[in-house]
Amino acid sequence: MMVSAKSALRTAAATLAVFTVWGGQQTSAAAEPAIDFNRDIRPILSNNCFQCHGPDSAEREADLRLDSFAGATSDLGGYAGVAPGDPDASELLRRVTSTDPGDVMPPPKSKKPRLSEVQTAMLRRWIESGAPYVGHWAFAPLSKAEPPQTEEPWVRNGIDHFILAQLQAKGIPPSPEAGREVLLRRVCLDLTGLPPGSEQRERFLADERPDAWERLVEELLRSPHYGERWGRHWLDQARYADSDGYAIDGERQMWPYRDWVIRALNEDMPFDRFTIEQLAGDLLPQPTRGQLAATAFQRNTLINEEGGSDPEQFRVEAVVDRTNTTGAVWLGLTLGCAQCHTHKFDPVTQREYYEFFAFFNNSTDRNNRGATLSVRQGDLLGEARDEPAVEQEAPGQQGRKANPLRGAVPLMIMQELEKPRETFLLTRGDFTRPDRELGPLRPGVPSAVPPALPESEAPATRLDLARWLVDPENPLTPRVTVNRVWMRFFGRGLVETEEDLGTQSSYPSHPELLDWLSGQFIAGGWSMKSLHRLIVNSATYRQSSLVRPDLNEIDPRNVLLARQARLRVEGEIARDAALLSSGLLSPEIGGPSVRPPQPDGVYAFTQRAKNWKADTGPDRYRRGLYTFFYRSAPYPLFTTFDAPDFQTVCTRRARSNTPLQALTMANDPAFMECAQALAGRMAESSAALPEQVRFGFVATQGRAPGAREAELLIRYAEEQAESFGAEPEAGMALLDEKLRASELAPERAAALVCVARALFNTDSFITRE
Amino acid sequence: MKNHERLLRDQTRRHFFRNCGLGVGSAALQQLLATDGWAGYRPRIDPAVPMASRSAPESPRVKNVIYLFMAGGPSQLELFEDKPALRQYHGQAPPKSLMQGKRFAFLKGTETLLGSGRKFGRYGRSGMSLSELFPHHRKIVDEVCWLRGMTTDVFNHGPAKLFMNTGFQAPGRPAMGAWATYGLGSEASDMPGFVVLQSGPRGPRAGSSLWSSGFLPTSFQGVPFRGKGDPILHLRSPEGLTRNRERAFYDVVGALNQERLAETGDPEILTRLNAYEMAFRMQTSAPELMEISAEPARTLESYGVTPGQPSFGANCVLARRLVERGVRFVQLYHTNWDSHGGPGENLNQDFETVCRDVDQASAALVLDLKERGMLEDTLVIWGGEFGRTPMGEVRDTVGRDHHIDAFTLWVAGGGTKPGLIHGATDDLGFGVIDGRVHVHDLHATILHLLGFDHEQLTYRFQGRDFRLTDVHGRVVREILT
Repeated sequence: MMVSAKSALRTAAATLAVFTVWGGQQTSAAAEPAIDFNRDIRPILSNNCFQCHGPDSAEREADLRLDSFAGATSDLGGYAGVAPGDPDASELLRRVTSTDPGDVMPPPKSKKPRLSEVQTAMLRRWIESGAPYVGHWAFAPLSKAEPPQTEEPWVRNGIDHFILAQLQAKGIPPSPEAGREVLLRRVCLDLTGLPPGSEQRERFLADERPDAWERLVEELLRSPHYGERWGRHWLDQARYADSDGYAIDGERQMWPYRDWVIRALNEDMPFDRFTIEQLAGDLLPQPTRGQLAATAFQRNTLINEEGGSDPEQFRVEAVVDRTNTTGAVWLGLTLGCAQCHTHKFDPVTQREYYEFFAFFNNSTDRNNRGATLSVRQGDLLGEARDEPAVEQEAPGQQGRKANPLRGAVPLMIMQELEKPRETFLLTRGDFTRPDRELGPLRPGVPSAVPPALPESEAPATRLDLARWLVDPENPLTPRVTVNRVWMRFFGRGLVETEEDLGTQSSYPSHPELLDWLSGQFIAGGWSMKSLHRLIVNSATYRQSSLVRPDLNEIDPRNVLLARQARLRVEGEIARDAALLSSGLLSPEIGGPSVRPPQPDGVYAFTQRAKNWKADTGPDRYRRGLYTFFYRSAPYPLFTTFDAPDFQTVCTRRARSNTPLQALTMANDPAFMECAQALAGRMAESSAALPEQVRFGFVATQGRAPGAREAELLIRYAEEQAESFGAEPEAGMALLDEKLRASELAPERAAALVCVARALFNTDSFITRE
Repeated sequence: MKNHERLLRDQTRRHFFRNCGLGVGSAALQQLLATDGWAGYRPRIDPAVPMASRSAPESPRVKNVIYLFMAGGPSQLELFEDKPALRQYHGQAPPKSLMQGKRFAFLKGTETLLGSGRKFGRYGRSGMSLSELFPHHRKIVDEVCWLRGMTTDVFNHGPAKLFMNTGFQAPGRPAMGAWATYGLGSEASDMPGFVVLQSGPRGPRAGSSLWSSGFLPTSFQGVPFRGKGDPILHLRSPEGLTRNRERAFYDVVGALNQERLAETGDPEILTRLNAYEMAFRMQTSAPELMEISAEPARTLESYGVTPGQPSFGANCVLARRLVERGVRFVQLYHTNWDSHGGPGENLNQDFETVCRDVDQASAALVLDLKERGMLEDTLVIWGGEFGRTPMGEVRDTVGRDHHIDAFTLWVAGGGTKPGLIHGATDDLGFGVIDGRVHVHDLHATILHLLGFDHEQLTYRFQGRDFRLTDVHGRVVREILT
């Protein structure tokens, strides 16, 4: 059975190799646009048919598979599911239009709705045109299409040609460029995660040189905070946390890995090298300390120290997590679906899942045991990173809680077993049920994803896997990576389902742009910074984000990008922004995770109370990504703003908008501390209330207030000052020591605290516009 | 509401419904075909007020759920299952045939059968057996439906609790309460729709992932209320800010947001305006909720509650008050039922303590709801993540290990048969011989009572339509009226 599934897959792969063409993207003048298999037909078949007539032979009904031309047209005894060119002779069409409950597809018991008339009409036209199957777009080689040459002064680079061509086809003009203040705050938040400082703002607004924008972008790309911002995005995918997870959730020392990531991004380490070091740094010849540290990416898996746990179970869980994480991060595939059965939608068999799993199944770690590297603070930020790992520091098979060298911490890293462990297919994903009949599996990659691994005598290793992922012939890694970068700048990927580029994915809004960017990314030596530069310098990125009523009907979800998007920032960034605008931020990079104050009682709901002695010095004001992260009881601010708990890979955070966020922004003492500090700065800026309000407004919103906004705040400040004048103790309660000592009347100082607090609570403070 | 707001809001709604597959214009069609084709039922959610109450697709039997989660796994053999055969073969090795292929968390394979030292009696019309440790449960014997044939798949606490709450052993899936509020919203306009309360010496293993919204929008995640201090983090305004001053604060923030809304036209700002107004209301509604001293002395007495002292009983009173205010799903966690025989975990005094913690209030809650006519609309669930083994486990004293093949759980309220004993186990309590109810079946039944076909309530994530019951589950019709 497995063999036949495999050979069927090879057929599918061969089909894929033959049809490398893209579907008709060009909207012709013809009345009806041509049917595009991937855009129009595959989603219908995938959503309605593949579950029983797809890649999974175990679930296949009536011996019919509709995911390949050969399958769909095969003789079912005098008739066929699909008769190319002859819709009326096609059983598929008869069944989906049948009104007989015993005949109709999908069958009533599947509880799937009937196909719509539009869908059946599409199937009919597709069959009429010969029922061409085109391999799934994401597995096809990158298109080499050059940007369509549109002639508009609006265009700034290649990206804009692609965007404008589609807008023009619909007769939509792009939005004008956003105002300079909005643009400045936008690009600062996107590239460094910090709003502009006042000095930076004044400099940029006064810069009348024609390349002022490009200069600003270069400055931001050079900022050490760039690596923090983009490092945080990467750490989400790496499911980085400072504790083990599960019940005990003990502390672990993974921060040296976090520092490795920040530095690699700041140095613009090419993404192929970035990939290889994290997946297989330990297998490189004479690895440096940095290359070993990079493999901690894979040790971010959970550890269960609950009594009675079977270490083998949690070793296997970790290998499963590494398999699924690698699939999600680099391939954009939901490999996890194939853990228990052959994938229902994508051409990944259960056997292929365990062949992929086999790459990760040879490491020495076993639940809470495994190899570590002794790292001192600053090692991975300094020269020590590039030193070869010397003999006595080579990872030993020690407990990770073993006494480290003085002042050093044991960073969990990868290490291969000398004698490879045998990998079996696990029946229904159960680690107690290895399929010994099938026999041990060799490491391998899904055959549907090109290129093939080179043939070799010795079993392929994690290093071979890492090199395969960044092989220029592999179309998924660049598409997935570029798509996610795009998502960070526009709120949505060119493929909306950025976590899934498999057959259930949404079709790219701009397929040729995605491929062009992927090509640029590879040709540019996998430079992240070049990719970011290209995007933020485009006219597309620089558009205004104002909602346009004229698009309500044509493009309500802004898929065609006739404007930018307003995006709520993450919890870490909300706090970072408050710290920066109030002047409290400690800009130090890296080091052990810190514990800013958090409310009492966070651990009422965890099995074990945690050690959380709030820091008092500058560490109280470090950026959010340095906050100690307990998986079972995360820092509440972050959770309230949709940070995941990092139990598994997270490629996209949600953006909710809840009353708990309002309560946090309004009442969290950490934000109150910022409001007091900002009030202090407002008081220092001028003796006049309108100027003080203006200062606070600019510091928090990145723009000057409108007349009505200024008026609202000034009136609010005056009312509050009057109210505190009548009740001085209430006003005093709002002041920090500095404000109490200031020459400002207490009721006026308290009113400024209220204004600062209101400014932090506006929608636009936590929104990148 | 000003005109432009209403206009905007209507537009938001229209766009949303369009994306749900109604009134599809030709331009949007391609997009839809790629992302839609969603199997099953998808609730219509107003993005500006995601928690707004919505009706269930099928006729619901209950509106709300109160889940009393006995964290650690209570011993059915000390509470609900009188097994004379265990006493008869006490100290002997269990039959080999029963042990084959079984895995346990701690047992080494040399343990022997342990007969319970507790006295049992038979009560109610059904003659349900209850031990001396649960005297108050005698009052509700004929009110609740006993599920003696519960089984689960996992035997470590963290994974088993996740399984019981989310239908999956690893973290990352939505909890039952998140599914319920995703499907139904909540009738509480000044309270979260899914509230979690906790009592006992420690928090439940696996923490917040037990009430996570998983891949569902985070609006649906459970909100833990704390028993001491402010019930919700950051509920209290900073010192010095009276209610009047706070009204002025919310007004000026609202006015600034209105300005930005007029400028940008972004409907997300409307959601924010709603969220801030609800936050302001919660500042009074939540402390008022927590004021259980406002309850009549008779009520507090029946629950065995002293105002001001956090306890499981106090949380039961709060659960009733939350449901009265329209909260959809309330979950109480109580620790520690993990009776291995170690320190603090023996089957003697420690077990008696935890029984005393919950017996009276659990019964009082059911009776209180009944008296108020609320039991018809409310489903109460009582149970742990698994049961305990028929074999003893010897540590400092004698306890029992985790048992996943047979344990007892009870449900009460609208749509379930009061006084029914459903299911039976073999003489030694190893396995279910009749009326097996798997965790997935329990989930299917709960969703059914709320008005959903568990195979239909889905959410599309990573290219797949996910369900609480994955590909399993059967509605246990035998226990429904």
